[in-house]
Amino acid sequence: MLIDINIDLPGPSSTRRQLPPQLVQFGTEELVLIELQGALEVEGNKDGQLVGKLRVDPNTKKPTMMIGHHLLEGKLVNLAKPLAVLQKHDSTPGAGEEDEAAMAVEDGYSPRTTMQARSWDIIAMVKKKMVFSKRPMPVVGTGSGKTSNAAPLSRIGSKAG
Amino acid sequence: MTECELRFSPSSSTDTGAFKLLELPADLCKLVESSADLATPARFTIKGATDEDAVLCTADKTYTVRSVVLSNSILVVTSDPSTSHTEDDDEPVQEIFIRDQLNEVIELVPSVPRLHKLNSLLRGREYDEGHEDEDMVSESDDEVTKKRQKFTYEDAQGAIQASDAELDKGLRDRRVLILNGELRPIARSHLTTILELILTNLVSLSLPHAAAPIATLLSALEDEHDIRRAVSRQVLKWFGRVDEYRGTWEMDVDAVIREVGLGLLRAYRDEPTYDGAFLAQWRKAVGDTFEDKVSLTLLSGNYLVSIDSLSEPPKTLLAYFPSSELPVDPWARFAELFLARPRWKIEEIAPFLADISVDAKERDKLLLKHARAVTDPDGIWYTARAKYNG
Repeated sequence: MLIDINIDLPGPSSTRRQLPPQLVQFGTEELVLIELQGALEVEGNKDGQLVGKLRVDPNTKKPTMMIGHHLLEGKLVNLAKPLAVLQKHDSTPGAGEEDEAAMAVEDGYSPRTTMQARSWDIIAMVKKKMVFSKRPMPVVGTGSGKTSNAAPLSRIGSKAG
Repeated sequence: MTECELRFSPSSSTDTGAFKLLELPADLCKLVESSADLATPARFTIKGATDEDAVLCTADKTYTVRSVVLSNSILVVTSDPSTSHTEDDDEPVQEIFIRDQLNEVIELVPSVPRLHKLNSLLRGREYDEGHEDEDMVSESDDEVTKKRQKFTYEDAQGAIQASDAELDKGLRDRRVLILNGELRPIARSHLTTILELILTNLVSLSLPHAAAPIATLLSALEDEHDIRRAVSRQVLKWFGRVDEYRGTWEMDVDAVIREVGLGLLRAYRDEPTYDGAFLAQWRKAVGDTFEDKVSLTLLSGNYLVSIDSLSEPPKTLLAYFPSSELPVDPWARFAELFLARPRWKIEEIAPFLADISVDAKERDKLLLKHARAVTDPDGIWYTARAKYNG
């Protein structure tokens, strides 16, 4: 089985939308990795739902995240080895034609024909990440109306192990 | 604006599982970054059958792929994926979106190309003398083509876990022809014949071996000896440098003489020959021009020396014993070597260990582990470490 990985890094003419400027320093212009101790667990449909508010202090550059009544403090961590972020190649019409052409070439004897060919794109090269490594601190009374409405929807799962 | 709202992706069902993190070694990172500006950027391919460990191949290197599970989770966060062009500065709050939540990172470890599968895939596909006309046969008779499925270069690319450059080198080292896209290892005896014909033609047509015109050589081989151009052209490439622009071929003298010598030596697998007789036969085969290049050192790692003490004076005997046919596993290789002869000098055994050790240091480590050094007036001998059958 062969899986192609193509490089699709954003160039100067990129049409992808950029992140807010204060977040760019934690990743690339389009993408940032946020590491959490534990995981976000949600029940039901989560499409477009609010998780929390991310704030970057303009002076100290410290990120903080409010999730419901929990405050998380984060920091910037440089990665020892850069990470390439891969995204599954979506089946846009153009991609579909490519796949068909590949199948035609493979016609006849080939160990590959039975397998489904898929491809991935390298969409970003990340050298930094935002890490929230501490336990969330409960905050009482400071949550604005908007945030507390969404509070029951998401919570920080406890750290595994 | 220093605050933004973190939301789940509006299309989380399609985004979940659509992202992966790949840890890149420094050289690959450079490759990816530099290829962003190129018109034809680099491409990686992950290769492997379901029962093999996957590897990632660049154009010329192979890496083993490993998945490392993290106890933390990593969120892949981007701006809104659905409304890509509407820049709205009046937006009260900026929103960013969690596209996927990941718990593993893919690690890459440099690896040797896994070419050994090639040997079994190519078995029974030899191209030999007398196969010149097979094209016509297979075209007229469909059953013949059905009997032997073609194994093409593209098939090898899919089945062999190696980069294209490493695969090309593996095919070249194994002397595999590509005829009509099909991979056909050349029969060694046929290869020797072709090389001998090239040598005689160089002489009879008085062509310079450092810049022989390819067209003349190819047509001489085709017209007089029925060697197909496609075959002889590839043979020329293996044994020298082809200058496409000037249309000339620069012969790699040592490589040609070595292969001719190997071809002759192969006959003496079970019945050793006297070294004098063998060298004379070899010199004759390569012709006057090259006979002073003939030397047994070219064949090191392919023959065993023994002394015929019955003749007077004692003569040296040579027998064909190729290291390429010995087991790859060190333990099995030493067992086989000590079966062939009970004790070895270091300079005798070294050529048979060259292809399983990267340098002399590693070779000595192998000797220390698998052999016992015995010193007597003649010097140091290596013998088997233990007698396993009592």
